[in-house]
Amino acid sequence: MKLLTHNMLTSKCMKGVTVGYPLKINAFDVKVSEVDFNPEFVSRIIPKLDWNVLYNAAESIGQVEDMPKSIVDDYENNTDFLKKVHRVLLEVEVINGELVCPETGRKFPISNGIPNMLLNEDEV
Amino acid sequence: MELAENIIQKRPEGLSSPSKKKQRKYQHTLTKQTGAKCTIFPTKHIGICNSGLVNGLSEEVVYEHFSKYGKIEQILMLPGKSCCFVSFDDIKCSTKAFNNINGVLNIAQYLKPVFLSFVENIPESLIEANLKHDSDPPNGLIILENFITDSEERAFLALNDFNRLGSSLKHRQVKHYGYEFKYDINNVDLNCPLEEKIPKECDILWERLRIAYPQLIFVEPDQLTVNCYKPGQGIPSHVDTHSAFEDPIFILSLGSAIVMDFKNDNGDHHSLLIPQKSFVIMSGESRYAYTHGITPRKLDILQTKAGLTVFHRAIRVSFTFRKVRNGKCCCKFHSKCDSYLRTHEKSYTAFGQLAERVEETHVHKVYENIAQHFSETRHKPWPNVVDFIKSFETGSLLVDVGCGNGKYMNCGQNIFQIGLDTSISLLNVCREKQYQVLLGNCLRIPLLDNVADGAISIAVIHHLSTEERRFSAIRELLRILKAGGRVLVYVWAKEQKHRNEKSSYLKQDRKNRRCEENEAVSNEKLTLVDGVEIPIHTNRTQFKHQDVLVPWKLKKNSGKSLNTGTDESQTFLRYYHVFKEGELENMCAQFNSKLLHSYYDQGNWCVILEKK
Repeated sequence: MKLLTHNMLTSKCMKGVTVGYPLKINAFDVKVSEVDFNPEFVSRIIPKLDWNVLYNAAESIGQVEDMPKSIVDDYENNTDFLKKVHRVLLEVEVINGELVCPETGRKFPISNGIPNMLLNEDEV
Repeated sequence: MELAENIIQKRPEGLSSPSKKKQRKYQHTLTKQTGAKCTIFPTKHIGICNSGLVNGLSEEVVYEHFSKYGKIEQILMLPGKSCCFVSFDDIKCSTKAFNNINGVLNIAQYLKPVFLSFVENIPESLIEANLKHDSDPPNGLIILENFITDSEERAFLALNDFNRLGSSLKHRQVKHYGYEFKYDINNVDLNCPLEEKIPKECDILWERLRIAYPQLIFVEPDQLTVNCYKPGQGIPSHVDTHSAFEDPIFILSLGSAIVMDFKNDNGDHHSLLIPQKSFVIMSGESRYAYTHGITPRKLDILQTKAGLTVFHRAIRVSFTFRKVRNGKCCCKFHSKCDSYLRTHEKSYTAFGQLAERVEETHVHKVYENIAQHFSETRHKPWPNVVDFIKSFETGSLLVDVGCGNGKYMNCGQNIFQIGLDTSISLLNVCREKQYQVLLGNCLRIPLLDNVADGAISIAVIHHLSTEERRFSAIRELLRILKAGGRVLVYVWAKEQKHRNEKSSYLKQDRKNRRCEENEAVSNEKLTLVDGVEIPIHTNRTQFKHQDVLVPWKLKKNSGKSLNTGTDESQTFLRYYHVFKEGELENMCAQFNSKLLHSYYDQGNWCVILEKK
């Protein structure tokens, strides 16, 4: 699970959960692998993100490095910034761990990089 | 003679070289798809290389734009293809059309320009197969032309003032006499006859009919429905409910000619011109076994071997006369007979937890078991799905709900794709290719509202076993989309023959390629929980039922079952609800979304919706 995916994930499909966002990450195994950098792609993704959620997620798994706490001005032309965001969004990946619903504490396991978001009959 | 290449270069703005490259690519595709030979020398025949029926291009639009440059001899639309042909009467006109339209006119999908190519000839076999619209009437249909005079036509039209009529359906205005036809139950209520009977002025018709057609046995009708169609309006394909009305049905056409389409289960398609002032007798097979409908458009294009004729529609008023039936229909055309189906069809209706159990046993567990074999045989992406994915700009977020082995997960260019599926075995295949995937159910997508630019649901919703669940699945897809976001949905069609062409699903059976029709019907039934039975479908045949179990055979030693490790040959039954023509569109019409395009592709019904 990349942090870009995490930025959109919610547990609100569960019965009784109203927001279910953001999900807390307990990471047991994190992998960082190189992905082709496309500055245009990253600058178009940035306005679609919940930046605080991204930053906190990265911080919680110790992968924030020197990415700024807030979006810099004129980020479209700041290759250095875009590269840092690129790394956090696309290169960092949680392979094993769990996601935790902020309202109920329900845990969703992540294995082989796949979050298991299936719900039991009594949870829907 | 001028070379087309030169013509292109002479155009004021000129084509940039990437466009030229694109053009060559499109010409190549045209030849590959149709066998037509492209040429740089102008001919009468132009191929539209990058747009056709599957992209939402209609004959009407082609006619509208191309007829500006001269007389058109023929327009050939090809079902399931992203190209088509236009032939002019002479080369001057085709050259003019080519110069003005090529690379400029934005009528291809997603408002992109069309690319043209001259072709030496349109292959005869294509014309043969696709000028299919049989213009002879189906059995039992008789069109009596000039049945009434001009002054009688005016008198009939004066009976109804449609400006004052209150009742209006979505697509046309309607008024009933004798009995009201109720569109919600598709029937009349015999206990509630209307005050207003069929106007006396109509009596002349029956006397005249007895003289014109003495051999016809009929009872004078007691129900009349008057419809008013403005140009651009139509009526979906339907069969008049068998149990509601006797045979025959009569239609009097006033004000304008119109083309009516008749289709049956065998894929026969007749496009018939119903002239103004004509009287149609719809009896026997044409009344019971064929659907009839009017395509909403402003002009009708009728193509015969003799050439192409265009009819611009005016306001048409039709009088449909029927005799209300008292009792059951006993016809032999069972597939469209509500009386027969009510007593003979054990209809499958699952609900609540039963639906979940059906899907758990006959969808989720089956995919888990056949995952490896399934994945090995599902690697070729469908081109129209790929085109949809490629239409998203850099930085878009696209969700593949029901991604399976991820065959569409790397089709996009510079977009972010997330896949969702219920099969962990298939998702593990995705992970081998580093795709972003989630284990989850399409009824509860674990993503935020209004987050995705696009979504696809390819061959997924037909695995849901109640209408309510299929409806919820579409609601979920729209929920995750942003306003203006688009979703593409493919579901398996009950009709595996469309416009006389068998789907590749049928063609894959060698027997079907040779003989007319594989009529083998499996009588096997499987008893499910709570005594609900679902019929088992015979592979590579037309569907007889909408809710079926489709066998998947795992051969010995190929794709061992992951759980048991057995190498016995095994058959797994997958549950499907196959969609009838129009069913998916009707379902989608209930949401606050815009239907951008609907089409038939590879044996599937398909829609593209845009969230409002």
